[in-house]
Amino acid sequence: MSSVAKCPECGNRNLIKDYDSGEIICSNCGYVLDDKLPDSGPEWRAFDDEQRNKRSRVGAPTTYTIHDKGLSTTIDWRRFSYTLKKMDQTKALQIYNLRKWQRRIRLSDSSERNLAFALTELSKISMSLNTPKHVLETASLIYRKALKKRLIRGRSIQGIVAASIYMACRLCGLARTLDEISKVTMMNKREIARSYRFIVKELSEFIPPVDPIVYISRFSNQLGIQGRTEEIACEIVKKAIELKLTCGRGPTGVAAAALYLASILTGNRRTQREVAEVANVTEVTVRNRYSDILKNLDIIIWV
Amino acid sequence: MSKVKPIIQIENVVVSVTLNQSLDLMSVVKALPDTVEYEPEQFPGLIFRLKKPKTATLIFNSGRMVCTGAKSEDLAIKAVKRVIRELKRSGIVLIGKPEIKIQNIVASANMGGRIDLEKAVFTLGRTMYEPEQFPGLIYRMDDPKVVILLFASGKLVCTGAKKEEEVKQAVYKLQKKLEEEDLITYE
Repeated sequence: MSSVAKCPECGNRNLIKDYDSGEIICSNCGYVLDDKLPDSGPEWRAFDDEQRNKRSRVGAPTTYTIHDKGLSTTIDWRRFSYTLKKMDQTKALQIYNLRKWQRRIRLSDSSERNLAFALTELSKISMSLNTPKHVLETASLIYRKALKKRLIRGRSIQGIVAASIYMACRLCGLARTLDEISKVTMMNKREIARSYRFIVKELSEFIPPVDPIVYISRFSNQLGIQGRTEEIACEIVKKAIELKLTCGRGPTGVAAAALYLASILTGNRRTQREVAEVANVTEVTVRNRYSDILKNLDIIIWV
Repeated sequence: MSKVKPIIQIENVVVSVTLNQSLDLMSVVKALPDTVEYEPEQFPGLIFRLKKPKTATLIFNSGRMVCTGAKSEDLAIKAVKRVIRELKRSGIVLIGKPEIKIQNIVASANMGGRIDLEKAVFTLGRTMYEPEQFPGLIYRMDDPKVVILLFASGKLVCTGAKKEEEVKQAVYKLQKKLEEEDLITYE
């Protein structure tokens, strides 16, 4: 309502909904447009989880992370009929049997079973990677899309699962390298990369290249580097991108070199080895990127 | 037209040949024991290596041949003809005319300037650039239908062309596009 309506007094479109007093107020002149806002929340109150579970009449929001989007029917195990009367023995037994079969036929065919398996696998990986929930949702959606386009036929479920997670991380701007994903999925990095390229190509999804800056805060955290150094490292990366020093270079290597340089500049030097280990690149890479940056950035270092 | 002319070099031409008859590979081995390699345990095809033009031809008992390694269209066809002549000379009966078809041409080229890959990702369309996995940018061109691996140094690899002309077309088209979008800087 507030997005369409405007204040009749001053024409201001920025209206405030005050739910405590049930009023809509103009943020500019204080004119009260409405003083009887309906409450859109539930009519019941709950003081703890147990009560909330008991009172709420709706389920969880739909999610792509469960094979039926969380819309499955489950039969309660409690021996109450819909009027909350206690059921007699025969009825209870009947319901018990129904419940058992409902659980069994929930996964009706093999494709659904595969999807369920893949999605649990996705959840597991995302859990061990510590990704936020929306990344998992995105990954599940990518996997579903791939399944719908029949891209999984002839490929391993694990590979596609790992690739979807990686793709979701990229889409959400999360700094996760292929190395980390290959570590938790216990899969070959090349295989994940291959599946990833395949689904990106087939889904014709556009994924912007990784910005080395996203890795900087991660690496400096692992190295225990101060915020100021981190800031300088970010500046160095920005400059390097501007000067086109990063073309065709791995983002982790660039980030590592920038951090190394920044650590020298601010006087709490880390060794190339430490930086390289955190970034999972070789010392040679750090050295090469470092000298690239030094040559082109007009930074003078006194050793 | 730009001042800098890309240097294009064809690296490999793959040609397939259909003879429309089945071949007995064992008799070929008996007829030409010194020139061919045949190990059915390892690979079902027979390998026929030529010194000039330097190519390798795979011959299968279905009567199909694949010739790889030639540096140009003409050389590839020459190589196939030579292989067929050798087969005939050694007493293998071949009837009818072989169907020769060029399947793939791989070429390398140098654009002569540095390329801003990071900007190119956004402007070229149908690209893939994953520096974490591969330092080159993969560009799928629709017409001519080729795939180009483009590197920051200005060198590129073009695969998937069926004619030599297509390679040239693709490289020039790419150069034009790169110059229009200001993605290439000449030194």
